[in-house]
Amino acid sequence: MEALFLTCIDNGFLEGIVRGYKSGILTQSQYANLTQCETLEDFRTQLSATDYGGFLANESLPLSTSTIQEKATQILVDQFNYLRGNAVEPLNKFLEYITYSYMIDNIILLITGTLHERDTHELLERCHPLGVFESMPALCVATTVEELYQSVLVETPLAPYFRDCLSANDLDDLNIEIIRSTVYKAYLEDFHSFCGTLGQPTQDVMQRTLAFEADRRTINITVNSFNTELSKEQRAKLFPTIGRLWPEGNNQLAKADDIDQVRAACETVSEYRTFFNDAGVSSSSAHGNGGIDDLAAASMLEDRFFRMEVFLNKQAFLQQFQYGVFFSYVKLKEQEIRNLTWIAECIAQDAKDRIQDFIPIF
Amino acid sequence: MSDDYPSLLRSERMSLVQLFVPTEVAHDTVHELGELGDVQFKDLNPSVNPFQRSFVGEIRRIDDMARRTRFFDAQIEKEKDVVPVRPLYECAPLLTVGPRSAQTVDELDTTLSQYESKLTTLNESYQTLSERTRELTEARHVLRETAVFFDKAHTQTTNIRSSFDDSATPLLTSHDDREGGYSSGSFDLEFVAGTIERSRVPTFERVLWRVLRGNLYMNHTDIAEPFIDPSTNAETRKNVFIIFAHGDVVLAKIRKVAESMGATIFPIDANADKRADALREVENRLEDLQTVLYNTGIGRRSELVKIGESLRVWQDVVKKEKLIYETLNLFNYDVRRKTLIAEAWVPTRDLTKIQLALRHATEESGTSVPPILHELQTSKTPPTFHRTNKFTEGFQAIMDSYGISAYQEINPGLFAITTFPFLFAVMFGDIGHGFIILIAAVYMILREKAMAKQDNGEIIGQFFYGRYIILMMGLFSIYTGFLYNDLFSKTLHLFHSGWTFPDNSTRGVYTGHTYPFGLDPAWHGATNALVFTNSYKMKMSIVLGVIHMTFALCLQVPNHFRFKRKSDIYTNFIPQMLFLQSIFGYLVLCILYKWSVDWTKSPVSPPSLLNMLITMFLEPGKVDPEKQLYPGQGFVQTVLLGIAGVCVPWLLISKPYLAWREMHKTTGAGYVTLGNGEETAIARHSTDETLEGEEEGNGRAIAEGDEEHEGHDFGDVVIHQIIHTIEFCLGCISHTASYLRLWALSLAHAQLSEVLWSMTLDGRTDPKSIGGWIGLGIMGFMWLNLTIGILCLMEGLSAFLHALRLHWVEGNSKHFEGGGYPFAPLSFAGEGSKEA
Repeated sequence: MEALFLTCIDNGFLEGIVRGYKSGILTQSQYANLTQCETLEDFRTQLSATDYGGFLANESLPLSTSTIQEKATQILVDQFNYLRGNAVEPLNKFLEYITYSYMIDNIILLITGTLHERDTHELLERCHPLGVFESMPALCVATTVEELYQSVLVETPLAPYFRDCLSANDLDDLNIEIIRSTVYKAYLEDFHSFCGTLGQPTQDVMQRTLAFEADRRTINITVNSFNTELSKEQRAKLFPTIGRLWPEGNNQLAKADDIDQVRAACETVSEYRTFFNDAGVSSSSAHGNGGIDDLAAASMLEDRFFRMEVFLNKQAFLQQFQYGVFFSYVKLKEQEIRNLTWIAECIAQDAKDRIQDFIPIF
Repeated sequence: MSDDYPSLLRSERMSLVQLFVPTEVAHDTVHELGELGDVQFKDLNPSVNPFQRSFVGEIRRIDDMARRTRFFDAQIEKEKDVVPVRPLYECAPLLTVGPRSAQTVDELDTTLSQYESKLTTLNESYQTLSERTRELTEARHVLRETAVFFDKAHTQTTNIRSSFDDSATPLLTSHDDREGGYSSGSFDLEFVAGTIERSRVPTFERVLWRVLRGNLYMNHTDIAEPFIDPSTNAETRKNVFIIFAHGDVVLAKIRKVAESMGATIFPIDANADKRADALREVENRLEDLQTVLYNTGIGRRSELVKIGESLRVWQDVVKKEKLIYETLNLFNYDVRRKTLIAEAWVPTRDLTKIQLALRHATEESGTSVPPILHELQTSKTPPTFHRTNKFTEGFQAIMDSYGISAYQEINPGLFAITTFPFLFAVMFGDIGHGFIILIAAVYMILREKAMAKQDNGEIIGQFFYGRYIILMMGLFSIYTGFLYNDLFSKTLHLFHSGWTFPDNSTRGVYTGHTYPFGLDPAWHGATNALVFTNSYKMKMSIVLGVIHMTFALCLQVPNHFRFKRKSDIYTNFIPQMLFLQSIFGYLVLCILYKWSVDWTKSPVSPPSLLNMLITMFLEPGKVDPEKQLYPGQGFVQTVLLGIAGVCVPWLLISKPYLAWREMHKTTGAGYVTLGNGEETAIARHSTDETLEGEEEGNGRAIAEGDEEHEGHDFGDVVIHQIIHTIEFCLGCISHTASYLRLWALSLAHAQLSEVLWSMTLDGRTDPKSIGGWIGLGIMGFMWLNLTIGILCLMEGLSAFLHALRLHWVEGNSKHFEGGGYPFAPLSFAGEGSKEA
């Protein structure tokens, strides 16, 4: 009880703010209206009736999907920065942890881009604004992991995560993927243990969300590593050591060769069982062209993961006085931006038949 | 109530009218009605999405025009020198009604887009030019700074050559020496020079250090003047940097890092002569460029000035057009799509005015088909509309912010005009302080026209809006100040005092005549002054409170008559009145009686009225002869208590009983409430929500219960009545006690002003020396400031809040029904003033 009051003093205001933000998330009926739009102008008119308000009012016509996405992300970033600006320890640290995942994404984006000799400024523009750090542009210089670490990352909070992958010497596509997975694994484990220090309600909610995130990564890595050069031992190293599949499920997944074995590994967790229902059926029915089918199954799987993520994040709002709401809000809003972009894209490309394929939140 | 004159007692009688507007005149009709500002249109297609409505195309066009005007506005604001914008009232109006209206709007649209494209091109060229200028300026800075740097290095090397062992040798020079490439004026040391944003310098340095493992020498200096981005007006400050390093690979790396950090790199020659040439060239080009830039700026400015001349008219037109089309979107098309059908609430009194406006609109538009207006019969609740003027507006706003009164209900805002300033003044009573706020109010009223036009800011704006309230509060405070005989905590000797103090005695002797008005000044400074004023003000607050509550209770009656609920008079009003009067009315009588008795000549000591009231409840019928106020007191009190006791079950039961009998009668006669069951269920559902909100707000339930007499279940009536009974009976006690705030605040105010006087001016008013005069000056200044700041502003606000509460809670809970919704007519006036 005492802890409860203390949380209130420090974070009550911000929790109120974030719950207020949450009620601005688009509802089913608003999505229904959005999907009826004929043009992006209709889309804008419709959005102006929601919490987004006139965020596109000063854009000259014609609108593009990327402007919509950019502006919507800007709203999220502004909200996040407001929260962060008003946060005290340990919430401050917690919010910082949220940005780490964006930082990892940005780093990977930059080094992949540099590898393929893209224009640096174009790459910098594509970085997620939440994951920007000041020495980030210098990433373009690095050609080896060692250099990358020594020149730039050593001063970022991500440095400890990168320490484990210094062995990989050349930067190529596979190595970058391995770096991403290793770093992300380290990040998830660190975040997980950090949430463990935050006391009961936060720990509960966050570890549930993070466990799912870890499982999702594990399964994704497994599915994506079929028929690649990645050896099974290497694969096993990339799996986060948290999550509900760990350790038995992870062990099985490390040995898996096709999607059926993945499904078998996930049988132990009842929530994950349904993910593979249709996917499994279609894969066994059309065993002939396994490659294409795996692809379809994977995309369907991805979709279900998103749904599950939304569900878990929504659940985080059921409990008060914990930090999970901040994490969940950012994730939900991100999903919403993905949805908006999807709908806008469908409208722009006149692909009305697929417009319903977004993931509704409320 | 006759409808001859508009009155504040009840809200305006409203009519629901239906308008058939031919499509040709629709625009002009709405425009005319918007100018009139007396019609509230109803949304006839609430289920239609905003982008599926009829006039969405027009709205979109107007939105685009609005965006253009906003763009112009932003551009004008950004311009460094102020561009004159002609205010709306000085511009020639742009006619958007009549047969040429569509053309006018089209023309406006083209004008706007022309200006926009012109401005955008100008902006673009201006931008490119300033970009070039910026680059050249940076280049100049780099050249100059590096020149300085090289010169310094030059002299230093020559100096240092003589002393090789100096451990403090700068990195550059030692490096230089090792290279041995330095020879009279030619450098073949490799370096990178450029500019970078100042905030990035530390990161830049750090990254370079790590990338090159420290194999570099870097120097940087600040550029004094900031660079201003012409499109955003954002200032950036930059630094010139120069980095010496060795080897092509390393230099390439430096360049790459620099570029990715957003630095601009300039090719600088190591040769001093070449640098000088480059500098000269850069300066020449810069000069040319600046001339061009200046001319472009002038061109852009003249364009903006042209825009500024008519920008306000455009904004006005765009705003009105948008409002018109948004209103038209609320209309319905008839089957053949020739006519628009609108429904609207209008004040019944203004029907002819609206008819006239419609005719005028038809004439204006040059067609012969007039819009047809006819009144509808409706069972829907009309909006509440109080016609206010600048005097009553503030008082009405005070009451409206508590809740919008129901349609045609007695409006508490009318009575607030006197009761509000009076209750305020009871707490604030002081001639001097009252005079100060009166002066402030009079000043605002005299400068009304000027102040209404300018933007006063939030705080001053609030005061200005309430200027007539402040005026009344000032007047009443002066009056109560005379009653309390209080002028900045001093007294006025207007008449001869009723008391004399013979031979420095502290005991006053009554002279036989009574001080004719207000408090006798002899009380001021007396040792028992506080005891006296306390008792006096406390009793007075109770008397005023009971009068105010009784009055508020009486306001129920016209409502009961108006809404045809005569039974409520006996089920609610009479028992409530009896309850209130038999306890607190009796207390007031006792107070007045006690005041009228000369207790110095009485054989018994004056009894405590508080104890009397308590024993009246605890030991009914028994009165200690020592503490008896008048003979027969015990019996009277028993009777009164009995009446109050009877009133409670009366209040509790009679109304549910009547409802039950009514129900019995209808069902007994064979009627079943099925016919409109569904409809009433919906209606009840919606009103219930508002009711609940209302109950939370003002803690009263009865009247709402009554409103839906037939719609409500019997159970609802019972529950409402139980709540209401408990609420009222407990409320009577707590509300009476609540009026004691009048005493408390008035006491606090008087004491505070006395303390202020004694702390600052007391004893200094008659200075004998120069020091005394200076002290008087300083203290007088302090006193004046604190009087205005604390006693008038802060105390005034607190008294204002308490007066507000007494009206909202203690007064309104006795009669106010609320639950109405305000009349929100389509009006251009409000929109216009908001912008200007």
